[in-house]
Amino acid sequence: MTGMRLTVNGVDREIDVDPSTLLVHAIREQVGLTGTHVGCLTGDCGACTVVLDGRTAKSCSVLALSADGSAVETVESLADGDELHPVQRAFWDGFAFQCGFCLPGMLLTAKELLDSTPEPDDAQILAAINGNLCRCTGYNTIVSAVRQASGCARTCAKETPCQES
Amino acid sequence: MTPRYSAPRDLVGVTAALADGDGVVVGGGTMVVPDMTHGRTRAAALVDLSRAGLAGVTAGADGVVVGAMTTYTDLVEAGVPLLSSVATGITGGPQIRNRGTAGGSACYANPASDVPACLVALDARMRLASAGGKREVPAAGFFLGGFRTARRPDEVLAEVVLPQLGNALLGYVKFKLAESSWPIVTAATVAVPGTALRVVVGGAAAVPVVVAVDRPSAGSGDPAWRDHVREAVHTALDAAEPWSDVLAPAAYRRRIAPAIAARSAAHALEEDR
Repeated sequence: MTGMRLTVNGVDREIDVDPSTLLVHAIREQVGLTGTHVGCLTGDCGACTVVLDGRTAKSCSVLALSADGSAVETVESLADGDELHPVQRAFWDGFAFQCGFCLPGMLLTAKELLDSTPEPDDAQILAAINGNLCRCTGYNTIVSAVRQASGCARTCAKETPCQES
Repeated sequence: MTPRYSAPRDLVGVTAALADGDGVVVGGGTMVVPDMTHGRTRAAALVDLSRAGLAGVTAGADGVVVGAMTTYTDLVEAGVPLLSSVATGITGGPQIRNRGTAGGSACYANPASDVPACLVALDARMRLASAGGKREVPAAGFFLGGFRTARRPDEVLAEVVLPQLGNALLGYVKFKLAESSWPIVTAATVAVPGTALRVVVGGAAAVPVVVAVDRPSAGSGDPAWRDHVREAVHTALDAAEPWSDVLAPAAYRRRIAPAIAARSAAHALEEDR
């Protein structure tokens, strides 16, 4: 086992891992945060998405040791206590998840999109989530929720939904 | 067995770590890490490039130099001809494009991936480094077969050099049946004014196949030109090792390759406004 450091959701952690330990397993089993899901372990499904040094990554495809010294944000970083993040609130209000397995990845990917593109069109939303598979196939409500969470939705009166972009 | 692990701080350290020839290079990790998880790759030693300073795009006198650890997202931001637009369409979402690299894809050499045919079309030069020194291999000679390249086990791909293309027009089209799928057939076109089109077809054979295609005199929909493309692509494929994978058999790839090549040529020429 090798010692390594991770800053997870702002908290410095020291953990011991094997060279072949995946980042997703380190987060779940060593750090103890299980909101990050283990799906395919092939990099396809996106359920293991975390933010690694400011960019989303599929944590099943990252060796834990490659992240030594890095800052990781997981789905647990989004809510402030009981106060949901606007992206989470939009998913909740819009029934944008069913089984919830893809949800951590969808939320973090949507947040990355909205941080860089506050008012995305549907094509940009679809492009952003094309590495996240929802096996309940609830994509329409997911796209609606991301649209709802966007600056466009928040600045438009609900009676006259914004049709621009 | 637990592999040894190192994350050297520079290229010299990387080549030293690979000198025994039993190391598995981990770049962005998007291919090799899942392969290890699923037992398709077994490593005695892991050599992690993430701290070796191999990322970045620089413009030099002889072209654009793309460091091996430059991610697809970096490529999009850097505005590299052809590769940047290809990078936006890499399968797997932003999370994969934030980690995966064109250099890693080249070394992995899945025939059905986007990068190999593009690098051949661009006449890229692959700069390989080992403890014994550096060498350059043209992309056309780098891909030896499915998942096989000219990189020796003691070598690392350090950089990819993309020569100046002058006023060439570029096109790229790939065919796949689902958003989350690997491509099935790809085609990259380089159109240098006054010369035949250079179309490089990927996925239809074990290695990228270079096809010289006449410019369409009556538009890319002209049946005579389509016949010419089909004949040229099939002649080139006849001389190459066929490729099949779980997505499509070789015969299917051969059948659709001319159409993808023609679309790629049209894509390049449409930019000539």
